[in-house]
Amino acid sequence: MYQWEIKIPKKIHDTKFFGNLKIEVIDKGICSHCGTCATICPVNGIKVEDKPIYFPNWEKECIDCGACIKVCPRWDYKPLNGIGDYLEILAAKSKRFKGQDGAMVTEIMASAFEMDLIDRAIFVGRDENWKPITSIVKDIEQLFEETIRGTKYSFADVMPRIKEVVKDYRVGVIGTPCMMSGVRKLQQESGIFNNIKLAIGLFCTENFYHWQLHEFLLKEKNVEMKDAVKTDIKRGKFIVSLKNGSKVSFPVKEFDPIIPSGCEVCQDFAAIESDVSVGSVGSKAGYSSVIVRRENAKKVLDYIFEKEYAERGEVNIDAIQKLCEFKIKIHPYPPKH
Amino acid sequence: MKVEKVEFDALSRIIGHLNAISVGVKQAIKPERITTEYPRERRKLPDNFRGLILFEKDRCISCFRCAFICPANAIQMELYDNYYPSIDYSKCIFCHFCVDSCPTTALKQTKIHDVAFKDLDEMVVHTDEMINPPELLREDKITVEYKINGKLVLERKREVEDLIVDVIPVKRIEYHSACVNPQNCLGDALCALICPTNAITVVEEEGRRIMKIDTAKCTGCGLCVRECPTKTLGLVRREG
Repeated sequence: MYQWEIKIPKKIHDTKFFGNLKIEVIDKGICSHCGTCATICPVNGIKVEDKPIYFPNWEKECIDCGACIKVCPRWDYKPLNGIGDYLEILAAKSKRFKGQDGAMVTEIMASAFEMDLIDRAIFVGRDENWKPITSIVKDIEQLFEETIRGTKYSFADVMPRIKEVVKDYRVGVIGTPCMMSGVRKLQQESGIFNNIKLAIGLFCTENFYHWQLHEFLLKEKNVEMKDAVKTDIKRGKFIVSLKNGSKVSFPVKEFDPIIPSGCEVCQDFAAIESDVSVGSVGSKAGYSSVIVRRENAKKVLDYIFEKEYAERGEVNIDAIQKLCEFKIKIHPYPPKH
Repeated sequence: MKVEKVEFDALSRIIGHLNAISVGVKQAIKPERITTEYPRERRKLPDNFRGLILFEKDRCISCFRCAFICPANAIQMELYDNYYPSIDYSKCIFCHFCVDSCPTTALKQTKIHDVAFKDLDEMVVHTDEMINPPELLREDKITVEYKINGKLVLERKREVEDLIVDVIPVKRIEYHSACVNPQNCLGDALCALICPTNAITVVEEEGRRIMKIDTAKCTGCGLCVRECPTKTLGLVRREG
């Protein structure tokens, strides 16, 4: 084919496309920091770091292709909410891995490796200060490392890392609901992203900038993240377990001043657009709730139970439903203030 | 198993001895040896013999294929006015994958197999030393050709064989760029920006971008294919 055409989106402001994105999404404070724009940016200009998304020198270097706007989940934003469509909801606990709760995210990804469904997976590890470090996992052995376990409650550059592997490998991605929406938009936009074969969504109410979370815990709670072995949110309380065995807990409500504005307009708790969503809400301690949404994920779950890698538990769908509704209540859109 | 001594009678012993003497006399008059008296004689080698490798700078396009394919990692690219290969003969296994992979026959085989180096450092043959064949001290006057006609026959000719082989230049396969996955295209037009011959053009109209490849202008260099972030473009064989 020697001639083809591409639709380009309409500009709202008379500037380059990234300028439009900056005015309408980033500066308006509805950017979710998912990093989808950085994933697709053909000139690798958009940066995802521990601060709002930015593009140094965009006036010059942006090639004005409009790809970022086409994939941004918050461009022309219509919030998704509720529990979403699903094939099955279950609770389970991995026998092979140790994790935040039932370690089902690691288990599903490991089984996808075993089934030869994916070649690479993007996981988030951490440094000693709990700053997220994304790593590209090539085989199951790497999943037994301690630092990739557990929830970090901070933004990580998962999506931009997809770019490094998606051209040549089948990829598995784990992410927050906004990242899942980003993955679907990417797949709509370019066929290359159909190489993302498994997208595992996480239950999410809010996520934080690492430096803000770190500073908050240090100043307000006198907690050094260096000493933490686990962070968790249970029954509306943020719990930090420390190396010396003690625990510091306080209501999540106290985080209000550091909640990023992009999270305050998000109503998607259960990662509606994922292949499979995982979280602790709705199952007993030590188990994870798993919402299976698509066929590819169903196959992985069937494989896990066939091989007896995980054991089933009881699931309380109402509890998940309740949190979905709670998120709509606390995050109204358009925002009140 | 039991081993038994064979006993010969007197007659068969005499016959055996006579046979041996007749072979000796025959070889003394007309010898039938299957070895060559190297270095006074030299065996005639086939044209595709895998010997020392020579290099022709003008043909090289610095594509690195020889260095990539080398299974012994003997080839290093050295920077002159462009990148050219050098060969470490302490590593080279003479598989000639490099020669076979060279798209422009810049690397070529020779029949030279008797080169001596003084030390290991000298075995790293740099590009400038690969252009001319090494100085050989040749004592051979006779070329021996091994032929099999029912049995092995050595044909000796009074001639000195040229060890440098003429290469038959390969026929280059012509390619041009084409859009193979239009559904992957982001419309970023990076291909048009990089194209050295302006074969790819982008026309922007109301709400759409029309991309066009002029195959007549395309040289098939593949820069656009490498630049495309989404594998939209590919090289296809030029028809006719």
